[in-house]
Amino acid sequence: MHDAIRLETSGIPTAVLVTTVFLHEAKVQREALGMTAIEPVVVTHPLSTLSNEQLDERAAEALEQVVHAWGGK
Amino acid sequence: MTTLAETKTEDLVEYYFEQAWSDGLPVVPPTPEKIAAVIDALGGDPEHLEAVVPPRRGGLTRQILAVNMVMAGCKPEYAPVVRAAMLALCSPAFNLNGVQATTHMVSPLLVVNGPIRREIGMNSGHNVFGSGNRANATIGRAIRMILLSVGGGTPGDLDKSTLGSPAKYTYCIAENEEISPWAPYHVEHGMNPDDSSVFVIASEPPHSVTNHIADDAEGVLDSIISAMSTIAHNNAVSSGSCAVVIGPEHAATISKSGWTRHDVRNYLWMNAGNKFSALSFNDRYGKIYNRNLPRWYKREPDARIPIVPSADDIHLFVAGGEAGRFSAFIPGWGHMTSPVLLRIDGTSPDAAAMCEDGTCRL
Amino acid sequence: MIYDPRGTIDAPVLHLAKRPANLRGLRIGVLDNTKWNGWKLEDRIATTLAQRLSLGPIKRYKKESFSRDARPELLAQIAAESDLVLTGIGD
Repeated sequence: MHDAIRLETSGIPTAVLVTTVFLHEAKVQREALGMTAIEPVVVTHPLSTLSNEQLDERAAEALEQVVHAWGGK
Repeated sequence: MTTLAETKTEDLVEYYFEQAWSDGLPVVPPTPEKIAAVIDALGGDPEHLEAVVPPRRGGLTRQILAVNMVMAGCKPEYAPVVRAAMLALCSPAFNLNGVQATTHMVSPLLVVNGPIRREIGMNSGHNVFGSGNRANATIGRAIRMILLSVGGGTPGDLDKSTLGSPAKYTYCIAENEEISPWAPYHVEHGMNPDDSSVFVIASEPPHSVTNHIADDAEGVLDSIISAMSTIAHNNAVSSGSCAVVIGPEHAATISKSGWTRHDVRNYLWMNAGNKFSALSFNDRYGKIYNRNLPRWYKREPDARIPIVPSADDIHLFVAGGEAGRFSAFIPGWGHMTSPVLLRIDGTSPDAAAMCEDGTCRL
Repeated sequence: MIYDPRGTIDAPVLHLAKRPANLRGLRIGVLDNTKWNGWKLEDRIATTLAQRLSLGPIKRYKKESFSRDARPELLAQIAAESDLVLTGIGD
């Protein structure tokens, strides 16, 4: 979240991926760091043990959210 | 400082429980007099901001530091130690943000060196990691309470540790400089013996190392190496740094063989480790290139993968009682954190200082 | 007397970057957080979107450590070389 917020303050729209279990942490961090408007892109936990096919599914969950985070329609 | 109005609750201990302003044990209800005594020990000015504590980024003013110290049961004279420890924990290299939020069971270990250990009555002898000493217990507890309340490390909320550990109540020791055959840790890292210091490392609880048979350095150290050489701890897969605590009898045996601290750390580093085939499960889950280990390790089945990148990443202490042939290995969290050593006034050791029997590098 | 031990949060008020009117042709920076499978997921998302929305080139950057903040120099480089960034936190 720190990296994303630093990039946003330097003018770069940034999509930040977070898994479901870390969503709350991400929200607390954005409050603590003062950028309440940043919306993380949420994918289902976990990632570390997934097969390639399962990773494709996680990517599909994220696509529209990423476009939205970047300001696209 | 938020000072709420008088409560109707008769029992203040219960009230603090109800607010979840506790580590799960009863707290000492703060009074204006007790808080003032700690603030005085910190140098006055209750609104002075000492640190910002991640991940919640609550402001640790002297007033808030004092409130937490009183609640933990600290005496005012412990204040410099708790403050220096918090400054170390909140320095960027330590990455308290990650330490507080991770699924790993990591907790910061605090090791105190120098004259202040004696001045405030810390235990560095028998049962050094255990209960029974007010300074060790309440300094460690105050730190944990600050991490919980000011840092927001609430279990299940921001603290996502799968298992946690008993070290998350209190994890604070002093080096047994009096019994140690070697220079104290802070002297090894460039300070004067008259300096007092705090050292923090994000780590697991201690793993006991027994050796009742060896009468030489190699034998004792080979047992420690055995504890270090497993693929189960975070150092094995995520590098970083670790601590080794040598019990006084073991230290005497090693020293009798003529070995210095430097020799000990180098021997441990040289001989502890795993084969890459073990870390990669013989490719059972596909070809693994572990990117959390230094890029200069060979990714070949028979290559030895050290536990930490260099001998200087093994932080060595002598602690414990004079009887018993035990030491301890304390695995670290990994490369995501760096240990921090500060003087008791919060300043860093002078990098240009002469380092006795060791290294100036943390 | 009751004392709240939590301390107050004094955060600055920071605003999001201005969003572009159109994403077409914009350069994508992917900041790999080095977490297991993190880069594979980021890579899939970036390449799929680049194709679908005719975005510009993708450049990948790697953090030193997944749990630490990226170095300021790295962030400055990313900001200079990208119009949009994709990154990640957590497992």
